Amino acid sequence: MSAATPTASTPDATSPAATSTLEPSSSSNAVDRLVVEYLRARGHTTPEQLSDLLSGDDKGKKPETTIPADELLKKIAVHAGGSQPGQNTLKSASVMQEIASGSSSNIQNLISSIGPVGAEEILSLDPTDKQEGFRELESWVEGSLDMYRPEFRPILFPIFCHFYLDLVQYGFKDAASEFFETFSTPLEAQHSATLHRLSTMRLPSHVQGDEQAQRFRNEKYTVRMSRSGFGLLVGWLTEGVGGEAPGAGEGFSGEKGKRGRAAVMRVVNNHLRFDVTAVSTTAVSPTAWEESTGLLSSLIPQTQGAMTNPQAFNTAKGELKLGPMPMSEELQTETEKSLREQAMLDRDPAAQYDVHSIRPAPVTGVVAPTAGDLLPHPATFKSADIRREVEKVRDARKRIRLDPSALSSVDLNTPQGAAARQRALPSICAYTLQDVPEGTPCCTFSEDTSLMAAGFEESYIRLWSLKGESLNGMKTDFQLSAIRDSSSLGKIREKGGPSSRKLIGHSGPVYSLSFDPLNGSASPPRYLLSASADATARLWSLDTMTNVVAYRGHQNPVWDVDWSPMGIYFATASRDRTARLWSTDRTSTLRVYAGHLSDVDCVRFHPNSLYLATGSSDWTARLWDVQKGSSVRVFIGHQDIVSTLAFSPDGRYLATAGEDLAINLWDLGSGRRIKKLTGHTASIYSLAFSAESSMLLSGGADWTVRCWDVKSSGGLPEKPRTNGLVNGNGASRDHAKDNTPENIETTDLLSTFPTKRTPIVKVHFTPRNLCLVAGPYLSPPAR
Amino acid sequence: MSKAKSSKPTAGPSGGLYKAESIKDVADGLGITSFPDAVASALASDVEYRIHQVVEEASRFMRHARRTTLTTADIDNALRVLNIEPLYGHSQHNTPTFRRALPFPQLASAGTVFFVEDEEIDFDRVLKEEKITLPPGVRWTAHWLAVEGVQPLIPENPPAVPREDQQPTGGATSTLVPNAATTPDKRQQQQAALVKQVLSRELQLYYTRLTTSLLPPNAVDPTKRTAALASLRHDAGLQALLPYLVRWVGEGVVGALKDGAQGENDGRVLEILLDVIAALLENTTLFVEPYLHQLLPPVLSTLLYSSLPPSQSAHLQTTAASILSHILTEHSTTYPSLSPRIMKTLLLALLSPDKSRGTRAGAICGLVGIGKEAVRKGLVEAGGARVVGAECMPGEEGGLGKAVVDALKVLQPPSAHPVPLDSRLSEDAATLARLDEVMGDFFAERLMGDAVWARSILGEG
Repeated sequence: MSAATPTASTPDATSPAATSTLEPSSSSNAVDRLVVEYLRARGHTTPEQLSDLLSGDDKGKKPETTIPADELLKKIAVHAGGSQPGQNTLKSASVMQEIASGSSSNIQNLISSIGPVGAEEILSLDPTDKQEGFRELESWVEGSLDMYRPEFRPILFPIFCHFYLDLVQYGFKDAASEFFETFSTPLEAQHSATLHRLSTMRLPSHVQGDEQAQRFRNEKYTVRMSRSGFGLLVGWLTEGVGGEAPGAGEGFSGEKGKRGRAAVMRVVNNHLRFDVTAVSTTAVSPTAWEESTGLLSSLIPQTQGAMTNPQAFNTAKGELKLGPMPMSEELQTETEKSLREQAMLDRDPAAQYDVHSIRPAPVTGVVAPTAGDLLPHPATFKSADIRREVEKVRDARKRIRLDPSALSSVDLNTPQGAAARQRALPSICAYTLQDVPEGTPCCTFSEDTSLMAAGFEESYIRLWSLKGESLNGMKTDFQLSAIRDSSSLGKIREKGGPSSRKLIGHSGPVYSLSFDPLNGSASPPRYLLSASADATARLWSLDTMTNVVAYRGHQNPVWDVDWSPMGIYFATASRDRTARLWSTDRTSTLRVYAGHLSDVDCVRFHPNSLYLATGSSDWTARLWDVQKGSSVRVFIGHQDIVSTLAFSPDGRYLATAGEDLAINLWDLGSGRRIKKLTGHTASIYSLAFSAESSMLLSGGADWTVRCWDVKSSGGLPEKPRTNGLVNGNGASRDHAKDNTPENIETTDLLSTFPTKRTPIVKVHFTPRNLCLVAGPYLSPPAR
Repeated sequence: MSKAKSSKPTAGPSGGLYKAESIKDVADGLGITSFPDAVASALASDVEYRIHQVVEEASRFMRHARRTTLTTADIDNALRVLNIEPLYGHSQHNTPTFRRALPFPQLASAGTVFFVEDEEIDFDRVLKEEKITLPPGVRWTAHWLAVEGVQPLIPENPPAVPREDQQPTGGATSTLVPNAATTPDKRQQQQAALVKQVLSRELQLYYTRLTTSLLPPNAVDPTKRTAALASLRHDAGLQALLPYLVRWVGEGVVGALKDGAQGENDGRVLEILLDVIAALLENTTLFVEPYLHQLLPPVLSTLLYSSLPPSQSAHLQTTAASILSHILTEHSTTYPSLSPRIMKTLLLALLSPDKSRGTRAGAICGLVGIGKEAVRKGLVEAGGARVVGAECMPGEEGGLGKAVVDALKVLQPPSAHPVPLDSRLSEDAATLARLDEVMGDFFAERLMGDAVWARSILGEG
C-alpha cells in the first residue's frame, strides 16, 4: 500500500470484498473531478444525483467524510472480477454485465449511467493498478525460465515509462514519483539517461511539452521476441499463467493481479510493437536487443512504406560504392613519371618499386565508384596533386606495419612474443597542452604533422608549428598595385614570425577544427576550417593567417566540421539537427541532411567522399549519400549519444563511439554491427584507424589511449569454465564476477596507455602509422 | 570525473530537489503572502523541470567542450540557445562561494542560512606584497606515450601499477575462443615486464655503488662511507631500493655472525650494518614499517649474540639497543604488537637457563634501551637480576654484574648520601629479606648499601 495513504482515516469499507483495496486519498479529488466531469459530459447534470453517486454509500455512517470515487469504482471492479475469475477484464462489455448483476442499487444506477467505454477509462485512472501491474510483470519476467529472461527483460522498460507518464499525465504526482522510486533501480543500468529525463517530469504539461515523452506516446516501441516467448507473454497477459515468483501470494490470480495485468495489457496493445522472429532464443547475441528495441519507427528514415527494422531499411537501400576514389589517367601517368624521376635521383633501390604500387589493386568485395559518381571537381590537376600522390606512395612504402593479428597466436614471454608486440602495437607521441585555463574542445594535426591547431573555449584558435618553424602571415602595409607576380607577393610576407599564432574571429567556443587535405602529407596545408558555438563555420587561410570566409546558415551552435577528402567541399554538424554540405567558394549551403531527431554531434566524410556519416544525440548514426542528400544507412545500437566516429581508410567500416562508453564497429555494406568494444570508463572523444584499417585507437576523458584489434572476434572474456563441475558455489561466484567493473573490457582491447590527468581530445594516425594524441593537462584540484 | 547523467536520478518522493517552501520564500520576497500550497508545489515541480531542461542543454555544451565538469559558461550558452537571457556576471573564474551563517539563536525556526562570501581585500597589502603574475600562455610539450606498444617509464607517464585482479586463467579456460584465453595472459605478462623494470638502471647503479662504498670495512675510505650513510639518511626516492637494502643488511649480519664474529673485522662489519639500519630508520622519506619484521632480526641477533668480539661488544650492544629503542618509539603506536614481541625475546634471552653471558648482557642492554619500565619488568619483576646474580662469581667486578647495576641505576639513580640498610631494624630487615628474595644474594649485597635506592627498586619507596 502506498505510503501516502493514511490507512486509519480511510472510511470503513461497506462491502467486505473491498477491505483489501484501500485507496490513496491524496488523489481522490482529481478523480472525483474527472468522474463528475465525465458524467456531466454524458448528460447527467443534476449535482445531487452526482454527489449521491459519489458519497451515497457512506452518508449514513460518517457524514463529513466522503468515500472517494475511485474506491467506489474499485469496488465495482471487485464485484466484476470476483464472481468469475479468469475472465478478461478488458472486455468491458462483460465487465459491465458483471457489474450489472451486482447487488447495490447505487452501483446499478452508476452502471446504467455510464457507457462501457467510460468504465474502462475510469479504471485506467487508478494509480495503484500501475504499481501492482508492474510489480507482477517484473516478478513474472524474473520468474521466467532462464532462456526467456533476456528477451522478456526489454519489455519492462517501455511499460515502466508508459506507466510513469500515465501517472504524471493524470496528475498523480506523488504516486508517479513513488512508482519511479520503487521500480526504477533495476532499469537504471541500461536506461539511466532516459530515466533521468523521465524523473524530471512531474506535471501533465511537462509530458505534453517534452519531446521524448511525446515520442513514447505517439510511436510504437519495438521489442523483438521469439515466437514462443511471445506466446508465453500473451498467455500471461490474458490468463496470468506462468512465472509464479516466490511470495507473490494472491497477487497473480487475485483481483489486483488481474487489474494490474489489464493495465499492462493496455500499454502492450497501444504502445508496443512486437517484432516476432522465428529465430530461437538461444541463437541471439545478448546485445542484439540494443539494435532492435526502442522507439525505432522515427529513427529509421521513412521512404515508401513504413519500415520498422533498421536491417530492412539498410538492405532496401541497396549496395554502396565503398571502393577507393578513382584517379584520373593523366594524374596517374604524371605521378608515375615523377616517381621514376625521384627513384633515379634517390638511388634508393626500394624506391623503384614505388611505380608499381601507384595503381591500387582492386579491393575485392566492394564496388569502386567512377569519376562520374564524385562531387563536381576541377577537370585538371595541379602540381600539388602530383606531389600528394607521390608522397602517398612513399608513405605506403615507409609505413610502420601494424599487425595486431600477430599478437593472438604467440606467447608474449618469448623473444618472438616481444617482437610480435613491436610489430603489432604503435608508437604513440603525446602532445600535452599545458596551462589551459578552461579546457580545449578540440585539437587537430595536419596530415604532414607540421602543424597543430587547438580551439579553445575562449573563442580563439591557436596554431603551432610542431617543427618550430615560424608561422608567417602577410604584412599589412603594402600597395596593392605593387603586387604583380609571385615574387613581389613574397616580398610582403612577414619574416621571422613566432612559431605559434592566435587566430581570432569566432564569438563562441570553438568546437571543431579541420585542416584541408589537398596537399596530403607532401606539404603543409593551406587552409583551416573551424566550427563554433556562434553558429558559424570559418575558413582560415594559413598563407595570410587570417579569416577568409564565415559560413552562416546553421541556426544553432555548429558542433563539428570535416573537409571532404578531395578538398573544396566540407560538411558541418549542428545542434539544429541537420548536417550541411558546403563548398568553400560559396557562402550558402549546398545540401542539408535532415532526419536526425536530435543534435547532430559529429560528421565525417567517407574516404571516397561519396558518403557522409553523422552521429547524433538521438543515439543513432546515419550514412548519407552526399549528392542525393538522402540517408542510405542507419546504425542503431548505441544506448546513448553518439559522440564521435571514424571511417576505416579502406572504406568498409565505420567506428562510432557513444556516451554509453562503447565503441561500435559497423560494416557499411550491410549496415550490420560487427562488434561492440567496451573498456573505456569515461566519455570517448576521438577515434582513429591505422592506415591498414587493422587497428583502432581511441582516446577519452578517462585519460587513456586504447588500442583495439579491428579484425579479432571480440566479445567479453569467457568465464573460466570447469568441465561439467558446476556446483552452486562456483556459479554464484561467476555471477558475482560478472558484475564487477573489471569485466567490461572486451578481449579485442590490445593495450591501454594511461596518461597523467590528460583527457585525450584527439587521436591521429599519420600516413606512416605513427600515432599522435593530444589533450590538455588538468592540474589536480587544489585542496 | 563526475557526470551528470551517470549519477542517480535525483527526483525523490518528497517532491524533488526544489521544494515548495523555496517557492513560498520567493513569493514572500515578492510580497505575495497567502500563497496556496498546491500552487507552490506545482510551481516547484515546474521550476525543477525547467532547471533540468537548462542543465541538460548545458551538458551538451560541456560534452562538446570535452570537459567533465559543468561550468557557468555552459549554462550561459544553454540559456542563449534556449532563447533566454543569460545570467551575466557569473564566470568560472570567480565562482561564488556560499558560507553557512552562524546559528541564529533568537529565531531557531529560521534554519540554516547561507550567504555569499564577500572577501575583503586590503589594498595596501595587495599592492605591497602580492606580485601579480600573468599565467603563461598555452603551450605544448611532447613525450612518448608508447614506443612500439611499451609505455616508457618517464616522468611524463604515470607509474605502472601492477594489477592484482588479472589472474592468469590457467588451463581451465575454454579453448573454443583462442583470443579470450590469450589476451588476459598477454596483459599479465606485459604488466610483469613493466614491474620488473621499476627498479631503473639508475637505481640499480646507485645500489651497487652504495653497497660497495659501505663494505668491506678495510677497503673503503671512511669519508666515502660517511657520505653513503648520509645519503641513506637523507635522500628521497630510495623506497624502491628498500627491500633490497633490507635484504642486504640481513644477509650481511647473518654472514658476519655465522663466521663466529670473533675477529675485529666482523665487529666492524656489524657496526657498519647497524649504522645502515639506523640510517634507514632515520630517513623520513622512507616507509619502513612493512619491513620492520625483516629489520628486527639483524638488530636482535647482534644484540643477543653470545660471543661478540670483546673489544667491541659493549659498543655494538649499545648501538643495537639504541636502534631498538628508536624503532619502538617510532613505530609502537602504529604496530602495537611490536613492543610485547621484543620484550618477550629479550626476557627469554635474559631468563632462559643456558644462555651465555654475552647474550644476557645484550638483553640487559636492550632492556635499558627500551626504557625504565622494561628494566623493572625484566630485572626486578621477572627475576632477571637473580638469574644473572646466580651466574656471577661472588666478588666479581665489571662485566655482567656491572651491566645489571648500570641498568638498575637507570631505573632509579642511587642517592647521593647512601644510608645502608640496617638489619637490626625490623623494617629494614623485611626490606633486606625481600631484596634477597627478588634480586638474589649477589645484587642484594650491592644494593644494601643504599636504603633509599634499594627500596625504590623494590617499588616500596
